[in-house]
Parts: sequence; structure tokens; C-alpha cells
Amino acid sequence: MKRWLSVYAAAAFGFLYLPLLILSAFSFNRSKFTVWEGFSLHWYQAAFADTELSEATVNSLVIALTATVISTIIGTFCAYGLWKKNSRALLGSLYLTLVTPEIVTGISLLAFYQAIFRFLHARLGMHTVILAHVAFSIAYVVVVVMARLRTVDPRLEEAALDLGANEWQAFREVTLPAILPGVAAAALLAFTVSFDDYVITSLVAGVDSETLPMVIYAIARRGVNPVINSLSAMIFFGFGALILISQRLEHRGSA
Amino acid sequence: MLLLMIAPLGIVCAYSLLTRGPYGGVMRPWSIGAYGRLADPLYATILVRSFWISGVTTTLCLVLAFPLALFISRSGRRKNLYLSLVILPFWTSFLIRTYAWMFLLRDTGLINTVLQTLHVVRQPLPLLYNDGAVILGLVYAYLPFAVLPLYATIERMDVTLLEAAADLGARPWQTMLRVMLPLAAPGFIAAGVLVFIPCLGSYLTPDLLGGGKTVLIGNLIQNQFTTARDWPFGAAASLALMALVMVLLAVALRRRREALL
Amino acid sequence: MRRRYFLLGAGASLAGCARDYRPRLNVMNWSAYIAPDSIPKFEAEAGVRVRYAIYESNEEMLARVGGGNSGWDVVFPSSFFIKPMIGEELLAPIDHSRLSHLDHLDAPFRHPSYDPGLQWSVPYMTGAAGIVFNRSLTPVPSRWSDLWNPALKGRITMLDDPTDVFGACLKRLGKSINTEREDELRAAQREAFQQKPLLRAYINAEVRDQVVSGDVLAAQMWNTTAQQAMDESPAIGYVYPAEGYCAYLDTMVILRESRRQELAYRFLDFMLRPSVAAANALTARTTTTNAAARRLFPPAFRDNPTLYPPPEVTARGEWELALSPATVLLRDRLWTEIKSA
Repeated sequence: MKRWLSVYAAAAFGFLYLPLLILSAFSFNRSKFTVWEGFSLHWYQAAFADTELSEATVNSLVIALTATVISTIIGTFCAYGLWKKNSRALLGSLYLTLVTPEIVTGISLLAFYQAIFRFLHARLGMHTVILAHVAFSIAYVVVVVMARLRTVDPRLEEAALDLGANEWQAFREVTLPAILPGVAAAALLAFTVSFDDYVITSLVAGVDSETLPMVIYAIARRGVNPVINSLSAMIFFGFGALILISQRLEHRGSA
Repeated sequence: MLLLMIAPLGIVCAYSLLTRGPYGGVMRPWSIGAYGRLADPLYATILVRSFWISGVTTTLCLVLAFPLALFISRSGRRKNLYLSLVILPFWTSFLIRTYAWMFLLRDTGLINTVLQTLHVVRQPLPLLYNDGAVILGLVYAYLPFAVLPLYATIERMDVTLLEAAADLGARPWQTMLRVMLPLAAPGFIAAGVLVFIPCLGSYLTPDLLGGGKTVLIGNLIQNQFTTARDWPFGAAASLALMALVMVLLAVALRRRREALL
Repeated sequence: MRRRYFLLGAGASLAGCARDYRPRLNVMNWSAYIAPDSIPKFEAEAGVRVRYAIYESNEEMLARVGGGNSGWDVVFPSSFFIKPMIGEELLAPIDHSRLSHLDHLDAPFRHPSYDPGLQWSVPYMTGAAGIVFNRSLTPVPSRWSDLWNPALKGRITMLDDPTDVFGACLKRLGKSINTEREDELRAAQREAFQQKPLLRAYINAEVRDQVVSGDVLAAQMWNTTAQQAMDESPAIGYVYPAEGYCAYLDTMVILRESRRQELAYRFLDFMLRPSVAAANALTARTTTTNAAARRLFPPAFRDNPTLYPPPEVTARGEWELALSPATVLLRDRLWTEIKSA
């Protein structure tokens, strides 16, 4: 059983990584096309020389990290609240944000911003993108955290209360540690949907808040361009290295 | 924050009840004409097709994700590493991933080249621009959305229950079927919701991998807000879709006699 | 938890660098429509910074600037989008005295029908949709009807845009691409239904690589994209179909909301300068409206029949116009039927 599971997992990771590994391999191709002509770092130089790309990368990281922190906190408390006291209104509105097609969310958020900005004399920018990302990622956080909360026994917290803890302590000391892996998974998901979002972002982004997906979309629409291969290889290996390093740190910390 | 989630919805409602402006956008008078136009067999076929594609995708995602989530939850200290590895491909842009698949599936792409070199096929297989390619792309895009909630539930599962089942003589597959799957039900539901719903609204994958030859409900709505510039109809169509999905969710919940979340 | 801090730290340190505080002009243009060094050159000359973003459709651009407080200064709408944008009060009138290079424009573009006297817009580039094909085909395509050839089943693509697909179908029937008549549009739809089983996909500029690689043998394509494919492979050809074709013109406008009109004029005048206009057309492989720029081209590019076809070919072209809302509605409905068939 265990061995089959490992074989399967290897196959599944193969499925997930195959397209990207091939793209990464071709990012070292000298030719602009899909025929191998020899090794070259030309496309990496081109990617580094592109200030638009580096600026968009910074924007994307700032937006995704901020939105992840905010939405994970709000989402976890929403889930916790729903777990303690079922609220149809909150649940319903959360589901509505999930059900809304992205383009509709984007257009309506844009209309909403434009309506209130007319009075506030403000403009679209990073803050509007972050707000939009928080708005659409909360629901993802709630769903994932909630799935985890449902496996927690409510009596544990009641016991803590009986033993003299206040509600905040009961949450912090008992429930939160129990759901932490769920919260981490939710944060990962929130970061992913935020970092990868194109449709909504492209509508609510202002002049100084181009994100990476927007730039990539623009490049890709012009046809094959190995610069995006080298860029994706860099994102891919960069984040991969980050994950491995943090894993090392974590293990050293726990050991 | 709640305002940020609800106010846009109000705006969509208002749009759906207005009239299309001469250059797009919306204007008065108020009208329910947009809803009237929804009652058209053309849109029913599009809807059925979208449900079919999303349903197949969701089923595949759940089936593929469960063993993976199980594997990760059994990996001890490596858990977080594997979990991150599931997510990692998704930090490269969605578009890059889709183009990578197009690159693999093309007539002169890797898969066909390998098959032809090995003399498995003579003519390149038409892998790109059909429903199969769309479903493949969607499964690939939404797989982590299924793995994460499943992992979150399985990881928490009481291993002693499984051991008890084994001690009582259950075979591994019996344990899996009778004990583990029911215990993982909340994860399955969360995963199903997280995959099915965004699938229904997706439009870029069907466009790029399906070659624009099929219209799913997401494409229809997207098109109303872009080329057709018919915002009232787009808003009405999306509200109808949202209402339908909400009703389905409510029915599914009632049958299970428990809250979905 | 540590991972989060680590990422936060990395993000914060990255955010610390790479900001620039020169005055800034915000320009949004179609993708692949400018020479790579034009913007840096303007930045150096004017001592400003340009935020240069791109879009893929007029509608996308309109959605982004439509609120009237988007922050953009200069955009590049197609000619048939000028009237709607005037209607929505988005455009600033053009003051000709502030543009020294305006008279370099080709004569026909100085008094266009969509904006007589160029009160609101300045012509930029033109384009057209014809057929790009692989020269291995015999005979090579010369008319739209050749895209209905069953022998090419699965190796043909059409543009993913109702205007272009209906344009080709209407031209095949000998009608105007700007028709407002329902019976003609329905007849065109029947043509599209007939063609659909033969098609590999409805796809835009991204098909270029599949044309070059030989996956696609014949495709409805814009001349500038076709020229890029031809630059890459000698096996590729392009033809303006005998039945006639759809032509379009893109313009430069200054948005009414712009707070940097002075700078915007300076940018427009820069783009009209013959050397700059020539560089833009030459690298983007497009058709400039600037006569003085054309004189600066190397002869091979100036006489190239894909981008600068002779007068007997341009006579077959028909300019794309703005259709009435009712026609747009009908056409979109028919288009949805074609796509979901």
C-alpha cells in the first residue's frame, strides 16, 4: 500500500512538473523557437535587462504577501466565528464571492472603486489591487480552514474555558495550534491565487501596479518569447530554493 | 471588508437591470430585458456543456488529489516540503503553464515528436484544441485546490481509527473505503467546491487549449463584458449562474444534513 | 512560520530598491507596436519616465480608462473607437499648433472620415486581415474561399474575433464588412458554420508559431503578424484575398483626464518624428501612416507587398466602421451560435 502510494506520488509530481521542466530546459536554448540550437544564457540576460519585469515582480510579491497576511487573518477568524456560531448571511456572502466569475468580480470592483474615487479624488494603484485580492482570497481561506476546524472537537475548547481560560486564551492555546496546518495550507492557497491572478488584477490595477501575470500575459500574447521561459524558470527555481532553505531552517529549529 | 465583497454584487445587480449604452457600459431606463434573453435554448446548451466539463474536471481532480494528499500527510517531517512542492508550479504564471501544455500537445510538440520517433503513430495525434485538452488544462490548473483541503482533513485524521480497523481484520482497501473516505468527507466537499466553482467561470483555458471552438458559460460572460460590450446581459447571465450554483450547493447540503463548511 | 518571515523579509528588501521619482507619463498601447528603444529615447530626451503598458483589445482599453480617473495620459484606440470615446467625453481636443511633425502624415490620413480635421486623434499605424499560408500548398491560396478547402481540414485557423470572421464570410459573399442587414449577416453565419468543421481553432496572433512550425498551413491573419512569421521562415507567404479585405487604423489620443498635457503633446510629436516613426514601423513590422518615415525605410521594407501593398491591392480594402448597437447585438448572438455549434 505504502509503496504504491509513493509510486503514485512520484507520478503525480511528474505530471505537475513535466511542463515546467521542459520550459526551463528550453529557456537555455539559443534559438527563439522550439528547435534546440545550443546552450545560451541570452534569454536570462534579456529578462534581467527588462526593468518592467523586475518592477512587476516586486509589485507582485508585495501585493501577494500583504494580501495573504490580511486575508489569512480575516479568513481564519471568519471560519472560527462560523464554527462557533453558524451565520447564514456570512456563509452565503462568502460563497457568493467564490461563485462570482472573475471577470464579473473585476468589472464590479472597478465600477465600485470608480464610484467612490470620484468623491475621494483617489486613483487606482497598489492599494486597490491588494484590497481586491484580499476580497477574493478570504473565501478560499475560510473554506480550507473550515475543513480543518470540522475535525476539531469543540469540547476541547469548552474544557479550556471550564479550566478558567478566557475565550481568547482558549482560541490561542487550544484551537489555533490544532488548526495551524490548515491555516498554513490556506495561506499557501491565498498566496497562490493572489500571485497568479490576472483577470481581476488587470482591471483594478492602476498605472503603477502592473503585476507579473500582466506583464507575462502581454509578452505571451505577442507569440513565443523565450524571455518568459527564462523568467518562469527563475520563479520556479527561486521559490524552490526558498522552500528548501526554509525547510532546512525549520528542521534545524525543531531539532 | 464585507462591504468590499457585497457592494460589487449590488453593482452587478444594478447593471443587470439597466439598458446597454450605445457604446457599451450601461444607461437608463431600467429593464428586465436582459433576463428575458436568458430564456433561450442556446444558453441552456452552453450551460449543460459547462457543467459537464466542470463535473468531469472536478471528479478527476478529486480522484487524483486524494492519494497525493494521503501520501503527503503520511510523510512525517517532509510534509511541509511536499505540500510546498505541490504549490510551487502554480507560482509561475497560469499563462506560462498553459503555454507549456500547448507546447507539449502541438502537432510538432514533444509528445507527438516522441510518439512519431518511436513509430507508435505515423500521423501526429490531434491532442490540442479539443475537449480533452481543455479538461487536461483545467485539471492541471485546479489540482492544488483539491490537494490542499484534502490534506488539511486527512492530516488531522485519527490514525488509531485506521489501526483499529486493521486490527479488526479489515483489508487496506476496506479501511480506505469504509473508514478513511467517510472521515475525509469534509475535505472532499471543500475540494469539490473549490474546483467546481472556479471551473464553471473559467474562460482562458477553454479559449487557449480548446482553440476558441467551444463556448463555455465563462466565455459567454467574459465576451459580454469585452467584445460584445453588453454589460446588462453579462451581469444577468452571471447572476443567473451564481443563483443556480447557490441553489445546487444548498440542495447538496440539505441532502447531507449538515453544513457544507 | 519561519518561512513566512523569510519571504516577507525578501519581499521587503526587494521593494526597497527599484523606485524612481522623475515626472512620469503614462502610455498604454497595443502590444508589439513600438520600437524597443523609442521609449528609452523619449525618456532621455524629455528627462521623464514613461510607464508603458499594453492592451490587446479596444474594449480592454476602454474598460480601463472609461472611469475618467484612471491615471493614463495617452492611449491608441482604433479609428472606429474615436466616436464612442468622444461620446463618453474621454478625449482632449488636439491642438495642432503644438505638434510640429503633423504634416508628415500621408495625405489620405490628414482628413479621415471618422475625425475630419484630426480634432481628437492623430493617426498612428494601419493594418489589415488577409491570409498567411505555407508556400508548400499548391496552388497557394489567393481568395477567402481557399480557407473553405476540405483538403486542408484541421490545418486552417481563423481569427478569434467576430469582426474578422464575419468580415471574411461577408467578403466571400461579395458583401460589405460593415453591413447592417440581418439577412446578409445570417448568410455570412451559414458560411462560418460550413467552415467550422475544417478549422483547427479560432485563434489570434499566438498562431504565428504554429504557422512557422508548419502545424497550420493557412490562417486568417493580420499583415503585421504575418510579416513577423515571414521574417522567421522563408516558407511563409501572405496574400490580400481577391474578394476584398478588412482594414483598420489605430490612432494616438490624449485623454481628457491627463494632468500632463504638455508632456503628452511632446510624446505625440516625438512619435510623429520621421526617424522615430520609421524605427517603430520597421521593428514592429507594421504599416506607418507617416509618409516622411516611409522615405527613410530600406528599399526592401518600403516595397514589401505584405505591409506596403500596391494601390491596386489597397483598393480592395474596406475600412472597419462602428456598427449600430442593434447590429453589434445581433452579430454577437450569431457569433455565439457559431462558436458553440
